[in-house]
Amino acid sequence: MKTSYRKTHLTSFAVWVALIMLTLLTYRIGETSRAGSYAMPSLLVISLVKGQLIANYFMGLRSVSWGWRLVMPLYFLLVGGFIALAYLNSLI
Amino acid sequence: MKVRDIELTANEFTGSLSERDDRPSLPGDFAIWIFIFAEMLAFGVLFITFAFARAGDVEMYNASQQTLNQTAGLINTILLITSSYFVACAVAAISSGNARHCANWLTGAVMLGGCFVAVKIFEFSEKIDSGISLSTNSFYMFYLSLTFFHLMHVLMGMVILGFIIVKARRGGYSRKQHTGVETGASFWHMVDLLWIILFPLVYIMH
Repeated sequence: MKTSYRKTHLTSFAVWVALIMLTLLTYRIGETSRAGSYAMPSLLVISLVKGQLIANYFMGLRSVSWGWRLVMPLYFLLVGGFIALAYLNSLI
Repeated sequence: MKVRDIELTANEFTGSLSERDDRPSLPGDFAIWIFIFAEMLAFGVLFITFAFARAGDVEMYNASQQTLNQTAGLINTILLITSSYFVACAVAAISSGNARHCANWLTGAVMLGGCFVAVKIFEFSEKIDSGISLSTNSFYMFYLSLTFFHLMHVLMGMVILGFIIVKARRGGYSRKQHTGVETGASFWHMVDLLWIILFPLVYIMH
């Protein structure tokens, strides 16, 4: 039991580190490129990856059935897709 | 087809489903997931509305966005992610039967939530001092309402976690029975998930 507890802690810590790095990357993109049209897709992809990390490792969705697991990526893809569409629309 | 035949077919179908997928169901109470999906849907519509409203007046949106405190947004993102990590550790602790550790991790998460609220109040007071309100322009209307709506969820999450801490300290959860902890944790992670989109959308993307 202790090994499993430690393993879960280590995994959660690794996910936390990845999330902080991705957050700093998001901030850096905003600072350097003024987050223009080229930055938009990368910011949306970063959000998708962060969302998946939280859903799978913090919420524990990686151990549930595929139907439920798909809800979060679909949500991020749908919302992110519409946001991308709106941003591309503003460029035309 | 007779009713009895339909019942038999249904039983065969559910039986074959459970044979195919015996993974555990969603963590926590299923009702919280209905609430989570409804909240995410509501926020999703607001995010998309913001993006399309921006397309109507890009220059005004970009100029208004420049006045936001991006560093405060970054600090709040780090606070929420770290609090989510603490909550995940709390669930791991109670899953191994350690209620005291669970309560300690959750207390840490609530404290970080308190820091989030403090940073947000600082941000709001900055804007109010500058004479900015909901009626200044549509960007600030979205910024203030989206972040305030989200802040209400953070406060609600802190209250939920507070109740769980008290129950955990009184020995109300065990290794086998800790649905309440998972339910509260799922809500808190949802608050984090929403901020993951809100932060780049409102503070960063031009």
